[in-house]
Amino acid sequence: MKFSFTHDQRLFAEGLRDLLSKQCTPTHVREVWENQTGHLPDLWSRLTEMGVLSMLVPESQGGMGGTLIDAVLLFQELGRAAVPGPVLEHMAVAAPALAHSQWAPALNDGTTIATLWVDTGPYVAHAQVANLVLRNEAVITGFSSTDVHGIDGGRQLFTISGGSESAASAQVFGLPASDVMALASAAYLIGVSESMIEVAAEYARQREQFGKPIGSFQAVKHLMSDALLKVEFAKAPTYRAAWSASTGSPTALRDISMAKALASEAAYRASRSTMQVHGGIGYTWEADLQLWMKKSWALMRAYGDATYHRRRVGASVLHG
Amino acid sequence: MDLNETAQESAFRSEARTWLEANVPTSALPSFDTAEGFALHRKWEQKLYDGGWSAVSWPVEYGGRDADYIMWLIFEEEYYRSGAPGRVNQNGIFLLGPTIMEVGTQEQKAKFLPSMASSEIVWAQAWSEPNAGSDMASIRSKATRDGDEWVLNGQKIWASRAVWADWCFGIFRTDPTAERHRGLTFILCPLDLPGITVRPIAQLDGDTGFAEIFFDDVRVPVANTLGEENKGWAVAMATAGFERGVSLRSPARFTEAVKRLIHLWKTYGDPTDTALFDAVADAWMQAEGYRLHTYQTVTGMLEGRTIGAEASLNKIFWSEMDVRIHEIALQILGPEAERMEGPSQRWVDGFLFSLSGPIYAGTNEIQRNIIADRVLQLPKGM
Ligand SMILES: Cc1cc2nc3c(=O)[nH]c(=O)nc-3n(C[C@H](O)[C@H](O)[C@H](O)COP(=O)(O)OP(=O)(O)OC[C@H]3O[C@@H](n4cnc5c(N)ncnc54)[C@H](O)[C@@H]3O)c2cc1C
Repeated sequence: MKFSFTHDQRLFAEGLRDLLSKQCTPTHVREVWENQTGHLPDLWSRLTEMGVLSMLVPESQGGMGGTLIDAVLLFQELGRAAVPGPVLEHMAVAAPALAHSQWAPALNDGTTIATLWVDTGPYVAHAQVANLVLRNEAVITGFSSTDVHGIDGGRQLFTISGGSESAASAQVFGLPASDVMALASAAYLIGVSESMIEVAAEYARQREQFGKPIGSFQAVKHLMSDALLKVEFAKAPTYRAAWSASTGSPTALRDISMAKALASEAAYRASRSTMQVHGGIGYTWEADLQLWMKKSWALMRAYGDATYHRRRVGASVLHG
Repeated sequence: MDLNETAQESAFRSEARTWLEANVPTSALPSFDTAEGFALHRKWEQKLYDGGWSAVSWPVEYGGRDADYIMWLIFEEEYYRSGAPGRVNQNGIFLLGPTIMEVGTQEQKAKFLPSMASSEIVWAQAWSEPNAGSDMASIRSKATRDGDEWVLNGQKIWASRAVWADWCFGIFRTDPTAERHRGLTFILCPLDLPGITVRPIAQLDGDTGFAEIFFDDVRVPVANTLGEENKGWAVAMATAGFERGVSLRSPARFTEAVKRLIHLWKTYGDPTDTALFDAVADAWMQAEGYRLHTYQTVTGMLEGRTIGAEASLNKIFWSEMDVRIHEIALQILGPEAERMEGPSQRWVDGFLFSLSGPIYAGTNEIQRNIIADRVLQLPKGM
């Protein structure tokens, strides 16, 4: 057994981190929140060039030919930067699922932007920037969308109506779209949690009360350590889920559910602890922390929440 | 022990219920963290005052009903039951008011209490500073004596509702040479004086629910000092215990929230989800437990006991319970809870606000330190 990523996988993830540290700073994310476009077009082009958007598309279809093991660290990096817009939906599901369709070239080069409508929820995230919505068995285009006010400005929610449908498959590696998204968002949530913890740890080193950095108080140390504990113990299950999904393992669905349940709860815990460590400033619009907190409150519920996924794990290990 | 209401208490309850049923606005007011909502909440307070219900526990001469703590709790139960608006002058009526009654002069009582009860003057609490949050005794804003006036300089932050409030009650350093807790003075100050700048701060939900207040050579009469000069810390602490312990968050707030939670569960809950079922039952027990604990505490106060450091237990309990109630609600709502509007709106708003509970009125970490040091008498740490 070898439970680690290859040098190339790590290098690619570092390259993405580097790109995001320049093109997806909290200032960029805020811009999207405020102008309500839900999307960073420049970043989108760079992600296309880098091959992130076509990572899971077979090489024969113009993609990078990667597996979910190749992609899982990228999902995590995207989460670290709280990347707005339908990057996960497009990259993890739409592009690979439609790799053999007429849509493939435009999805690969990013000129057509796709999002998803999955059965685990009534709403379509990112519909305002998407040209195409992939449902279970159909592609919808030319729809109109109505904003229903999601909590996360980088993941606006809509209901959609009208448009025309054409038959398509939303399966990726033989898995339903909602499960692939559960895996992708589990990894993304881990990245979100890591950033919240880093931001709060830095704050706890700088902020002084009673003449000492607040990070020197045991109560603060324990809040931070407990948050880290949950995140660290969600990682291996998430990476294992990527492996199971990529290798056609019979336990793939169970493993994805385990990952999404643990990552959702870890992200929620991290949001609570890191906000608490910030004190009053953590409750403001100005503090960048909210960009990740609200992302975690959105994604912990999307694509099945912890309860939904825990029950699937339970059904598998207790009844199976 | 007799846990039944007396005839007098029951009569008071039904009087309150009748009045509230006839007067509570039929649709919810906009948030008091908006200009429009603030004005409407002030109007509502005026109506409460006219009916004699704005400050039931105050003496009659200042606009109250001389209700004892038990009756006050009964009023609160009826208030929350009726779905009446939030109390925009909370900081005045429940925090500053009792402090003025305890340490204020006759002139101060006559001047400030009636306009507080009617909310003609809405008060903001200006204690925290950018560098003095948990460590409040390190306050640096100062008041310098010039004849009959204080000259105020410095910066306060996080003052709730200060964007539209009329006056603030602040703590200022008046003796720079004294040791930290000494040398502070409690001063009342209008917010429209020359030299004052109020900068709204947007909260997590985007509304400007609190503000920074900058003081630049602001002059107020020395007569605006509450309590003795350089004894501001003791004045501030005189009522902080009652605030943390009882008045800031009366039990009815949570027992009503749990009623709504149960309704939510009946509407949307998955009956096969036993963990959720247990969680709702637990929320009910917590709210009920807090109610019982509070009745026990106020009975003790009526019998002459005072609340000390154990008030910190209450503050932790209600703030964590509030978060829990909302967490469960959002869990019941599932994917709907990703929205700020629709059936989830009130719960999502409430969730965001509940997260500030473990921070304001002294963080829960500080409360735990207080309990450990003063109630449990553990050796002092850092
Ligand atoms: C919604 C809201 C409304 C508010 N309204 C008002 C108001 O009307 N008027 C007003 O004056 N203030 C108000 N405040 C301010 C509030 O009282 C302060 O935010 C609070 O006291 C914490 O101070 P701080 O924000 O500076 O955080 P800090 O003191 O910097 O605390 C940061 C973190 O360090 C921890 N910490 C600090 N010291 C210790 C220690 N010794 N041991 C262990 N942990 C420690 C804290 O618990 C916290 O987790 C409000 C705050 C909020 C969020």
